[in-house]
Amino acid sequence: MRYRIADDVAWVSEEDLDGGEEPTAYLTRVPKGPPILLEGSGCVVWLALDEGGTLEEVIATAAAMTGAEPDSISDDVATLVDQLVVIGVVIEE
Amino acid sequence: MGGMSEETDVRAAPVAARVHLAHAVVQKLADDRGIDLLHLKGPAVLPGLRPEGRHSSDVDVLVRPSHLRSLVTAVESVGFEQRTSFATGSVFAHAANWWHDDWGWVDVHMSWPGVTIDAERAYDVLARDRVVRQIAHRDCPVPNRTAQRLILTLHSARSGGTTDLDHAWTAATPEEQDAVRALATELHAEVALAAGIGELELHRGDPTYLLWRHVTRGGSRFDEWRARLAAATTLRAKAELLTAAMRVNRDHLRMELGHAPTRSDIRARQRLRLRRAAGELTSRVRRS
Repeated sequence: MRYRIADDVAWVSEEDLDGGEEPTAYLTRVPKGPPILLEGSGCVVWLALDEGGTLEEVIATAAAMTGAEPDSISDDVATLVDQLVVIGVVIEE
Repeated sequence: MGGMSEETDVRAAPVAARVHLAHAVVQKLADDRGIDLLHLKGPAVLPGLRPEGRHSSDVDVLVRPSHLRSLVTAVESVGFEQRTSFATGSVFAHAANWWHDDWGWVDVHMSWPGVTIDAERAYDVLARDRVVRQIAHRDCPVPNRTAQRLILTLHSARSGGTTDLDHAWTAATPEEQDAVRALATELHAEVALAAGIGELELHRGDPTYLLWRHVTRGGSRFDEWRARLAAATTLRAKAELLTAAMRVNRDHLRMELGHAPTRSDIRARQRLRLRRAAGELTSRVRRS
Protein backbone atom coordinates (compact mmCIF):
# COMPACT_ATOMS: atom_id res chain seq x y z
CA MET A 1 0.00 0.00 0.00
CA ARG A 2 1.30 3.41 -0.99
CA TYR A 3 0.18 6.79 0.30
CA ARG A 4 0.12 10.17 -1.39
CA ILE A 5 -1.59 13.54 -1.12
CA ALA A 6 -5.00 13.53 -2.82
CA ASP A 7 -5.36 15.31 -6.16
CA ASP A 8 -7.91 17.83 -4.88
CA VAL A 9 -5.75 19.14 -2.04
CA ALA A 10 -4.21 22.59 -1.93
CA TRP A 11 -1.65 23.22 0.77
CA VAL A 12 0.96 25.62 1.89
CA SER A 13 3.59 25.35 4.59
CA GLU A 14 5.36 27.96 6.66
CA GLU A 15 8.38 27.29 4.46
CA ASP A 16 6.44 28.63 1.45
CA LEU A 17 5.45 31.69 3.47
CA ASP A 18 8.96 32.50 4.80
CA GLY A 19 7.22 32.02 8.07
CA GLY A 20 7.48 30.84 11.64
CA GLU A 21 9.83 28.53 13.43
CA GLU A 22 7.45 25.65 14.10
CA PRO A 23 6.67 23.47 11.09
CA THR A 24 3.10 24.24 10.10
CA ALA A 25 1.03 23.28 7.08
CA TYR A 26 -2.35 24.65 6.07
CA LEU A 27 -4.37 22.52 3.71
CA THR A 28 -7.79 22.07 2.27
CA ARG A 29 -9.71 20.06 -0.26
CA VAL A 30 -10.62 22.44 -3.04
CA PRO A 31 -13.01 23.96 -3.58
CA LYS A 32 -15.18 23.33 -0.51
CA GLY A 33 -12.71 22.96 2.34
CA PRO A 34 -12.70 22.91 5.29
CA PRO A 35 -9.32 24.37 6.11
CA ILE A 36 -7.08 22.09 8.14
CA LEU A 37 -4.04 22.93 10.21
CA LEU A 38 -1.13 20.55 10.81
CA GLU A 39 1.43 21.70 13.34
CA GLY A 40 4.78 20.39 14.51
CA SER A 41 5.26 16.70 13.86
CA GLY A 42 1.90 16.61 12.07
CA CYS A 43 3.40 18.93 9.49
CA VAL A 44 6.53 16.77 9.27
CA VAL A 45 4.39 13.74 8.41
CA TRP A 46 2.59 15.82 5.79
CA LEU A 47 5.87 16.84 4.18
CA ALA A 48 6.90 13.17 4.19
CA LEU A 49 3.61 12.27 2.52
CA ASP A 50 4.36 14.86 -0.16
CA GLU A 51 7.16 12.55 -1.29
CA GLY A 52 4.73 9.63 -1.22
CA GLY A 53 5.48 6.00 -0.52
CA THR A 54 4.61 3.07 1.67
CA LEU A 55 3.89 3.62 5.35
CA GLU A 56 7.40 2.41 6.15
CA GLU A 57 8.87 4.91 3.68
CA VAL A 58 6.77 7.75 5.10
CA ILE A 59 7.91 6.83 8.60
CA ALA A 60 11.52 6.71 7.46
CA THR A 61 11.26 10.11 5.75
CA ALA A 62 9.62 11.69 8.79
CA ALA A 63 12.28 10.17 11.04
CA ALA A 64 15.04 11.52 8.82
CA MET A 65 13.49 14.99 8.92
CA THR A 66 13.32 15.04 12.71
CA GLY A 67 16.31 12.94 13.68
CA ALA A 68 14.01 10.54 15.53
CA GLU A 69 14.30 6.76 15.56
CA PRO A 70 11.74 5.32 13.12
CA ASP A 71 10.49 2.81 15.71
CA SER A 72 9.78 5.56 18.21
CA ILE A 73 7.40 7.43 15.89
CA SER A 74 5.92 4.66 13.76
CA ASP A 75 2.68 4.24 15.75
CA ASP A 76 1.96 7.98 15.81
CA VAL A 77 2.73 8.37 12.10
CA ALA A 78 0.45 5.43 11.25
CA THR A 79 -2.38 6.92 13.33
CA LEU A 80 -2.09 10.34 11.71
CA VAL A 81 -1.86 8.88 8.20
CA ASP A 82 -5.04 6.90 8.92
CA GLN A 83 -6.82 10.06 10.03
CA LEU A 84 -5.69 11.93 6.93
CA VAL A 85 -6.99 9.09 4.75
CA VAL A 86 -10.36 9.17 6.53
CA ILE A 87 -10.85 12.90 5.85
CA GLY A 88 -9.83 12.42 2.24
CA VAL A 89 -6.68 14.51 2.01
CA VAL A 90 -4.44 11.46 1.62
CA ILE A 91 -5.22 8.48 -0.55
CA GLU A 92 -3.95 4.93 -0.34
CA GLU A 93 -3.45 2.99 -3.53
CA MET B 1 3.08 13.63 17.75
CA GLY B 2 1.34 16.85 16.86
CA GLY B 3 -2.19 16.65 15.70
CA MET B 4 -4.57 18.14 13.27
CA SER B 5 -7.26 20.71 13.79
CA GLU B 6 -9.95 22.13 11.59
CA GLU B 7 -11.64 25.45 10.91
CA THR B 8 -11.47 27.20 14.27
CA ASP B 9 -7.69 27.06 14.49
CA VAL B 10 -6.94 27.72 10.88
CA ARG B 11 -9.01 30.89 10.95
CA ALA B 12 -6.27 32.24 13.17
CA ALA B 13 -3.75 31.18 10.53
CA PRO B 14 -1.59 33.82 8.90
CA VAL B 15 -3.44 35.81 6.30
CA ALA B 16 -0.80 34.75 3.79
CA ALA B 17 -1.74 31.08 4.24
CA ARG B 18 -5.41 31.83 3.72
CA VAL B 19 -4.63 33.86 0.61
CA HIS B 20 -2.61 31.01 -0.92
CA LEU B 21 -5.39 28.50 -0.27
CA ALA B 22 -8.04 30.92 -1.54
CA HIS B 23 -6.21 31.30 -4.87
CA ALA B 24 -6.31 27.51 -5.16
CA VAL B 25 -10.01 27.39 -4.30
CA VAL B 26 -10.85 29.94 -6.99
CA GLN B 27 -8.70 28.13 -9.57
CA LYS B 28 -10.41 24.81 -8.87
CA LEU B 29 -13.80 26.47 -9.36
CA ALA B 30 -12.55 27.90 -12.65
CA ASP B 31 -11.09 24.58 -13.81
CA ASP B 32 -14.34 22.74 -13.13
CA ARG B 33 -16.41 25.23 -15.14
CA GLY B 34 -14.07 26.19 -17.96
CA ILE B 35 -13.74 29.75 -16.66
CA ASP B 36 -10.80 31.77 -17.98
CA LEU B 37 -9.05 33.82 -15.33
CA LEU B 38 -5.59 35.03 -14.39
CA HIS B 39 -4.24 35.30 -10.87
CA LEU B 40 -2.73 38.68 -10.05
CA LYS B 41 -0.57 40.13 -7.31
CA GLY B 42 0.32 38.39 -4.05
CA PRO B 43 1.55 34.82 -4.54
CA ALA B 44 0.81 35.11 -8.27
CA VAL B 45 3.68 37.57 -8.72
CA LEU B 46 6.72 36.03 -10.39
CA PRO B 47 10.02 35.93 -8.47
CA GLY B 48 11.90 39.20 -8.39
CA LEU B 49 8.90 41.38 -9.14
CA ARG B 50 8.00 42.18 -5.55
CA PRO B 51 9.89 42.67 -2.29
CA GLU B 52 10.86 39.48 -0.47
CA GLY B 53 8.59 38.59 2.42
CA ARG B 54 5.78 40.81 1.15
CA HIS B 55 2.33 39.24 1.36
CA SER B 56 -1.11 40.17 0.11
CA SER B 57 -4.15 40.32 2.32
CA ASP B 58 -6.60 39.32 -0.39
CA VAL B 59 -6.89 37.41 -3.64
CA ASP B 60 -6.98 39.29 -6.94
CA VAL B 61 -8.09 37.62 -10.13
CA LEU B 62 -8.78 38.99 -13.59
CA VAL B 63 -11.65 37.10 -15.21
CA ARG B 64 -12.54 37.00 -18.88
CA PRO B 65 -15.52 39.41 -18.81
CA SER B 66 -17.82 37.03 -20.67
CA HIS B 67 -17.11 34.42 -17.96
CA LEU B 68 -17.91 36.72 -15.05
CA ARG B 69 -21.42 35.37 -14.46
CA SER B 70 -20.10 31.79 -14.26
CA LEU B 71 -17.40 32.81 -11.82
CA VAL B 72 -19.85 34.65 -9.58
CA THR B 73 -22.13 31.61 -9.51
CA ALA B 74 -19.13 29.40 -8.75
CA VAL B 75 -17.69 31.41 -5.86
CA GLU B 76 -21.10 31.96 -4.30
CA SER B 77 -21.78 28.20 -4.50
CA VAL B 78 -19.02 27.60 -1.95
CA GLY B 79 -20.02 30.34 0.47
CA PHE B 80 -18.47 33.57 -0.80
CA GLU B 81 -20.72 36.60 -0.23
CA GLN B 82 -20.58 39.65 -2.46
CA ARG B 83 -19.72 42.80 -0.52
CA THR B 84 -19.17 45.44 -3.21
CA SER B 85 -20.41 45.73 -6.76
CA PHE B 86 -18.52 46.72 -9.88
CA ALA B 87 -20.18 50.14 -9.86
CA THR B 88 -19.12 50.93 -6.31
CA GLY B 89 -15.93 48.91 -5.81
CA SER B 90 -13.56 51.66 -6.90
CA VAL B 91 -13.18 54.90 -8.79
CA PHE B 92 -12.51 52.81 -11.90
CA ALA B 93 -15.60 50.56 -11.48
CA HIS B 94 -13.36 47.68 -12.49
CA ALA B 95 -13.67 45.22 -9.60
CA ALA B 96 -16.05 43.82 -7.04
CA ASN B 97 -15.23 41.78 -4.00
CA TRP B 98 -16.49 38.75 -2.16
CA TRP B 99 -15.93 37.61 1.41
CA HIS B 100 -15.63 34.07 2.81
CA ASP B 101 -15.27 33.30 6.50
CA ASP B 102 -12.48 30.81 5.83
CA TRP B 103 -10.74 32.35 2.85
CA GLY B 104 -11.19 36.07 3.36
CA TRP B 105 -11.45 38.55 0.48
CA VAL B 106 -11.45 37.79 -3.22
CA ASP B 107 -11.32 40.77 -5.58
CA VAL B 108 -12.68 39.92 -9.01
CA HIS B 109 -11.47 42.27 -11.74
CA MET B 110 -13.10 42.52 -15.14
CA SER B 111 -10.50 44.98 -16.30
CA TRP B 112 -7.40 46.61 -14.90
CA PRO B 113 -7.34 50.33 -14.13
CA GLY B 114 -5.55 52.17 -16.89
CA VAL B 115 -6.28 49.67 -19.65
CA THR B 116 -8.76 51.34 -21.98
CA ILE B 117 -9.35 48.89 -24.83
CA ASP B 118 -12.37 46.59 -24.73
CA ALA B 119 -12.10 44.42 -21.61
CA GLU B 120 -12.61 41.12 -23.44
CA ARG B 121 -9.83 41.97 -25.88
CA ALA B 122 -7.63 43.17 -23.05
CA TYR B 123 -8.08 39.82 -21.34
CA ASP B 124 -6.95 38.05 -24.50
CA VAL B 125 -3.84 40.22 -24.70
CA LEU B 126 -2.91 39.73 -21.04
CA ALA B 127 -3.62 35.99 -21.20
CA ARG B 128 -1.87 35.46 -24.54
CA ASP B 129 1.54 34.68 -23.06
CA ARG B 130 0.38 33.50 -19.65
CA VAL B 131 2.53 31.19 -17.59
CA VAL B 132 1.65 28.69 -14.90
CA ARG B 133 2.65 29.37 -11.32
CA GLN B 134 2.14 26.99 -8.44
CA ILE B 135 0.11 28.50 -5.64
CA ALA B 136 -0.65 26.20 -2.71
CA HIS B 137 0.76 23.39 -4.87
CA ARG B 138 -1.90 23.96 -7.56
CA ASP B 139 -1.35 25.14 -11.12
CA CYS B 140 -2.59 28.71 -11.50
CA PRO B 141 -2.32 30.75 -14.73
CA VAL B 142 -0.67 34.13 -14.27
CA PRO B 143 0.36 36.88 -16.72
CA ASN B 144 3.89 36.64 -18.06
CA ARG B 145 6.69 38.78 -16.67
CA THR B 146 6.15 41.76 -18.99
CA ALA B 147 2.41 41.83 -18.31
CA GLN B 148 3.05 41.55 -14.58
CA ARG B 149 5.44 44.49 -14.71
CA LEU B 150 2.74 46.53 -16.41
CA ILE B 151 -0.01 45.40 -14.04
CA LEU B 152 2.07 46.21 -10.96
CA THR B 153 3.13 49.59 -12.36
CA LEU B 154 -0.47 50.49 -13.16
CA HIS B 155 -1.47 49.37 -9.69
CA SER B 156 1.22 51.58 -8.22
CA ALA B 157 -0.10 54.49 -10.28
CA ARG B 158 -3.66 54.10 -9.08
CA SER B 159 -2.47 53.67 -5.50
CA GLY B 160 -0.54 56.90 -5.60
CA GLY B 161 2.83 55.15 -5.74
CA THR B 162 3.92 51.92 -4.05
CA THR B 163 7.12 49.97 -3.55
CA ASP B 164 5.87 47.69 -6.33
CA LEU B 165 7.28 50.25 -8.73
CA ASP B 166 10.87 49.66 -7.59
CA HIS B 167 10.77 46.01 -8.58
CA ALA B 168 8.32 46.11 -11.47
CA TRP B 169 9.67 49.15 -13.31
CA THR B 170 12.74 50.82 -11.84
CA ALA B 171 14.74 47.60 -11.61
CA ALA B 172 13.78 46.52 -15.13
CA THR B 173 16.36 46.71 -17.92
CA PRO B 174 15.77 49.20 -20.77
CA GLU B 175 14.74 46.27 -22.99
CA GLU B 176 12.24 45.09 -20.39
CA GLN B 177 10.87 48.60 -20.02
CA ASP B 178 10.49 48.83 -23.80
CA ALA B 179 8.48 45.60 -23.75
CA VAL B 180 6.23 47.03 -21.03
CA ARG B 181 5.72 50.23 -23.02
CA ALA B 182 4.84 48.20 -26.12
CA LEU B 183 2.29 46.19 -24.16
CA ALA B 184 0.84 49.39 -22.68
CA THR B 185 0.44 50.76 -26.20
CA GLU B 186 -1.37 47.61 -27.31
CA LEU B 187 -3.72 47.91 -24.34
CA HIS B 188 -4.09 51.69 -24.71
CA ALA B 189 -2.72 52.07 -21.22
CA GLU B 190 -0.03 54.62 -22.06
CA VAL B 191 -1.46 57.39 -19.86
CA ALA B 192 -1.77 55.16 -16.82
CA LEU B 193 1.73 53.81 -17.36
CA ALA B 194 3.00 57.38 -17.67
CA ALA B 195 1.26 58.22 -14.39
CA GLY B 196 3.01 55.28 -12.76
CA ILE B 197 6.49 56.16 -13.96
CA GLY B 198 6.37 59.95 -13.59
CA GLU B 199 5.70 60.90 -17.21
CA LEU B 200 2.06 61.97 -16.86
CA GLU B 201 2.73 65.56 -17.92
CA LEU B 202 3.45 64.27 -21.44
CA HIS B 203 -0.29 63.46 -21.68
CA ARG B 204 -1.92 66.73 -20.62
CA GLY B 205 -4.31 66.67 -23.57
CA ASP B 206 -5.67 63.20 -22.85
CA PRO B 207 -9.24 62.93 -21.48
CA THR B 208 -7.97 60.74 -18.63
CA TYR B 209 -5.14 63.10 -17.65
CA LEU B 210 -7.09 64.76 -14.81
CA LEU B 211 -8.21 61.41 -13.44
CA TRP B 212 -4.66 60.10 -13.25
CA ARG B 213 -3.37 63.36 -11.83
CA HIS B 214 -6.01 63.10 -9.10
CA VAL B 215 -5.18 59.46 -8.44
CA THR B 216 -1.44 60.02 -8.25
CA ARG B 217 -1.43 63.35 -6.42
CA GLY B 218 -4.66 63.26 -4.45
CA GLY B 219 -7.24 66.00 -4.10
CA SER B 220 -10.77 66.61 -2.91
CA ARG B 221 -13.83 64.56 -3.79
CA PHE B 222 -14.87 67.48 -5.97
CA ASP B 223 -11.62 67.15 -7.93
CA GLU B 224 -12.18 63.42 -8.20
CA TRP B 225 -15.63 63.80 -9.73
CA ARG B 226 -14.40 66.53 -12.06
CA ALA B 227 -11.63 64.19 -13.22
CA ARG B 228 -14.01 61.25 -13.64
CA LEU B 229 -16.37 63.42 -15.64
CA ALA B 230 -13.56 64.54 -17.92
CA ALA B 231 -12.53 60.93 -18.48
CA ALA B 232 -16.08 59.84 -19.36
CA THR B 233 -16.05 60.24 -23.13
CA THR B 234 -19.73 59.57 -23.93
CA LEU B 235 -22.87 61.40 -22.84
CA ARG B 236 -24.25 58.21 -21.35
CA ALA B 237 -21.08 57.64 -19.33
CA LYS B 238 -21.26 61.21 -18.04
CA ALA B 239 -24.93 60.77 -17.06
CA GLU B 240 -24.17 57.55 -15.20
CA LEU B 241 -21.35 59.22 -13.34
CA LEU B 242 -23.49 62.18 -12.30
CA THR B 243 -26.18 59.82 -11.04
CA ALA B 244 -23.61 57.87 -9.06
CA ALA B 245 -22.20 61.08 -7.63
CA MET B 246 -25.54 61.86 -6.02
CA ARG B 247 -25.83 58.47 -4.36
CA VAL B 248 -24.27 57.18 -1.17
CA ASN B 249 -22.05 54.18 -1.76
CA ARG B 250 -24.02 51.61 0.25
CA ASP B 251 -21.37 48.92 -0.16
CA HIS B 252 -18.64 50.98 1.42
CA LEU B 253 -21.00 52.26 4.09
CA ARG B 254 -21.83 48.67 4.95
CA MET B 255 -18.14 47.87 5.36
CA GLU B 256 -17.58 50.94 7.53
CA LEU B 257 -20.59 50.24 9.72
CA GLY B 258 -20.13 46.48 9.88
CA HIS B 259 -23.78 45.92 9.02
CA ALA B 260 -26.22 46.66 6.23
CA PRO B 261 -26.90 50.42 6.35
CA THR B 262 -30.33 51.51 7.51
CA ARG B 263 -32.31 54.34 5.92
CA SER B 264 -31.17 56.69 8.66
CA ASP B 265 -27.50 55.66 8.17
CA ILE B 266 -27.80 56.53 4.47
CA ARG B 267 -29.55 59.82 5.19
CA ALA B 268 -26.87 60.72 7.72
CA ARG B 269 -24.14 59.90 5.21
CA GLN B 270 -25.91 61.87 2.49
CA ARG B 271 -26.01 64.91 4.79
CA LEU B 272 -22.31 64.43 5.55
CA ARG B 273 -21.47 64.28 1.84
CA LEU B 274 -23.45 67.41 1.14
CA ARG B 275 -21.72 69.24 3.99
CA ARG B 276 -18.33 68.02 2.75
CA ALA B 277 -19.12 69.11 -0.79
CA ALA B 278 -20.24 72.49 0.49
CA GLY B 279 -17.03 72.80 2.49
CA GLU B 280 -14.91 71.95 -0.53
CA LEU B 281 -16.75 74.47 -2.67
CA THR B 282 -16.37 77.13 0.00
CA SER B 283 -12.64 76.58 0.25
CA ARG B 284 -12.42 76.61 -3.54
CA VAL B 285 -14.21 79.97 -3.65
CA ARG B 286 -11.91 81.34 -0.97
CA ARG B 287 -8.86 80.20 -2.93
CA SER B 288 -10.07 81.77 -6.15
